[in-house]
Amino acid sequence: MDFAFTPDQLALAETVRDVLTEHCPASALRSERLPAWDRLAAVGFFGLLVPPEADGLGLCLVDALPALEETGRACLPGPVVETAVVAPYLLPGVPKLASGAVRVSVVPPGGAGAPDADLADLIVVAAPSTRGRDGGAVVVGREAARLRPLPGPDPCRRLSEVTYTESTPLDRPLAPALRAATVATAAQLIGVARRLLEVSVAYARSRRQFGAPIGSFQAVKHRLADVAVAVAFAAPLVHRAALAVEAAVPDAGLEVRAVPDVGRDVSAAKAAAGEAADLAARAALQTHGAIGYTEELDLRFWLARAWSLSAAYGGAAEHRARIREALAGGDLRRYP
Amino acid sequence: MDLDFTRAERDFRAEVRDWLARHVPERPPSMDTPEGFEAHRAWEALLASARLSAVSWPEEYGGRGASLVEWLIFEEEYWAAGAPGRVSQNGIFLLAPTLMAFGTEEQRRAWLPGMARADQVWAQAWSEPEAGSDLAALTSRAERADGGWRLYGQKTWSSRAAYASHGFGLFRTSGARHKGLTYVMFPLEDVAVRPVAQLDGLPGFAELFFDGVYVPDTMVIGEPGDGWRIAMAATSSERGLTLRSPGRFLATADRLVALARDADPALADRAARCWIDAEAYRLHTFHTARRITAGEEIGPASSMGKVFWSELDLRMHGLAMELLGERAGTTPWLDGFLFALAGPIYAGTNEIQRTIIAERVLGLPR
Repeated sequence: MDFAFTPDQLALAETVRDVLTEHCPASALRSERLPAWDRLAAVGFFGLLVPPEADGLGLCLVDALPALEETGRACLPGPVVETAVVAPYLLPGVPKLASGAVRVSVVPPGGAGAPDADLADLIVVAAPSTRGRDGGAVVVGREAARLRPLPGPDPCRRLSEVTYTESTPLDRPLAPALRAATVATAAQLIGVARRLLEVSVAYARSRRQFGAPIGSFQAVKHRLADVAVAVAFAAPLVHRAALAVEAAVPDAGLEVRAVPDVGRDVSAAKAAAGEAADLAARAALQTHGAIGYTEELDLRFWLARAWSLSAAYGGAAEHRARIREALAGGDLRRYP
Repeated sequence: MDLDFTRAERDFRAEVRDWLARHVPERPPSMDTPEGFEAHRAWEALLASARLSAVSWPEEYGGRGASLVEWLIFEEEYWAAGAPGRVSQNGIFLLAPTLMAFGTEEQRRAWLPGMARADQVWAQAWSEPEAGSDLAALTSRAERADGGWRLYGQKTWSSRAAYASHGFGLFRTSGARHKGLTYVMFPLEDVAVRPVAQLDGLPGFAELFFDGVYVPDTMVIGEPGDGWRIAMAATSSERGLTLRSPGRFLATADRLVALARDADPALADRAARCWIDAEAYRLHTFHTARRITAGEEIGPASSMGKVFWSELDLRMHGLAMELLGERAGTTPWLDGFLFALAGPIYAGTNEIQRTIIAERVLGLPR
């Protein structure tokens, strides 16, 4: 048992973080749709999970997890999870996927729309979900898709309803890709939550009222301590889910280990990460007070991302309902 | 990164599970009754006969040199088997780590083997009437005497003291606040003990009155005056892993999920959330164990664990009370609920823990 990221996994995240710090500053969120995408492509980010025979690095989801968390921390716009995680599972043969030249979006089963579909070259549209059964999916080229923008909270993750005239049936199972996307989104939520906590702490240290930093007041301290606890205990659920996803993919070249219920581990990760990010957003807004309630403070982007990603690939209540259903079957065995 | 147990760890789990399946007794009376106390002592002695009472200790003191991960495995099996609460908790998980880190070899040899067999049962004696959360305000003192010390003053909320044989705590030998405190062990036979009934009506703790109780120098752990540092090292392990391992909460969560199986969806949803949180505590602990094994200091971050497990435990038992309604008293859940209520108070209140997290983990100003 070695339940910590390896130096290689952390170094990868460090590289992504450096790129995002330089090329995806908060100001870019106001002016660009795809800031830092070409730079991330240049460091191989979009090929991390692509098989080596398609010019990717062939890494596991868990290898990319800290890097994905960084994309959440930076509030990186664009269909990140869909292109970097879903596409390698579902469309590994698409040319130039690893180079980042092809962007992919996804309408998940039960989802209202596809994120940033207007920026995508290919859109995976899942059949409406039939209670846990893999209803399959089709791939739609951008030129064959008609997009109807849906109103939403996140200006940097815009959803569109997708209808289409032509499509190609997908020949790979959708479920493993959706599980990976859900875990990757949970990792982004952890990154969002960590960033929200950092900026809240920084603000509470500098903002003075009654002659003292507001962060010296116990009511403020305890609220932020609760966020720290929520994030600290959600993160390992996400890390476990990434391991469980890989352990349950027979063609990843790994021994298939005894994971009682991968879906349950994935749902636990998403529910906990979504709630931690939601708590972080609430605490961040309350700590900032009225200035936090403005469009002009950059905080709004991270608040919106917490809300949009909490709902993406199923909200906390939906995932807990799945867990409840799984537990009702009576199998309480755990991984590990 | 991986979450795989080694072959040796899996074998250890199987051995522990098998032994517990054959030996765990019917639920004994509360350890806070005379007959229950003796039943719990006898259970500790039986555990010790299989070298299972303190698995992580070195073999020479009665343990088996188990790794941190093996200890976590032991705890999972222990609580899943429905084994009795640990009457030796204060000694094994609080005093023993202190003796390992700060005691002399003579002290370890003198006390650890008997502790492992529950020949001695230890009470902790930190709080005083005017020193609770503000422990450094304590005024009980130790005065120099020939070859040792005489203890004066009053301790309170001393858990297990109603029936225990020995105690340990901090006494002032000089100075003020954190300076000049000394870590002392003492026999309870010369201490005036007033048992205090808890919410369940049983004397789970007691007040202790010291009127010149003599202890030789060999009962002092570390240097006189260094007690605060020594005690804080112990309480940080108390808040962290050793006080409440995940196994206890995993077992409770499993029972709660079973209890809530046919409940209405709103209550079942809360049970599912508790089950997730118990898993989160387990996984977080595997990560912490990895850090400790790698030589890292956990430090103030251990306060996060204390807040998390104590509030999870209370949520679980509170939900069980709701599910059971007036029938709760006919099940073990009522005792569990009363015990869980103490979690956010002992070992440093959760208000103190949140302040520690805010100031020393997050860096907010004092």
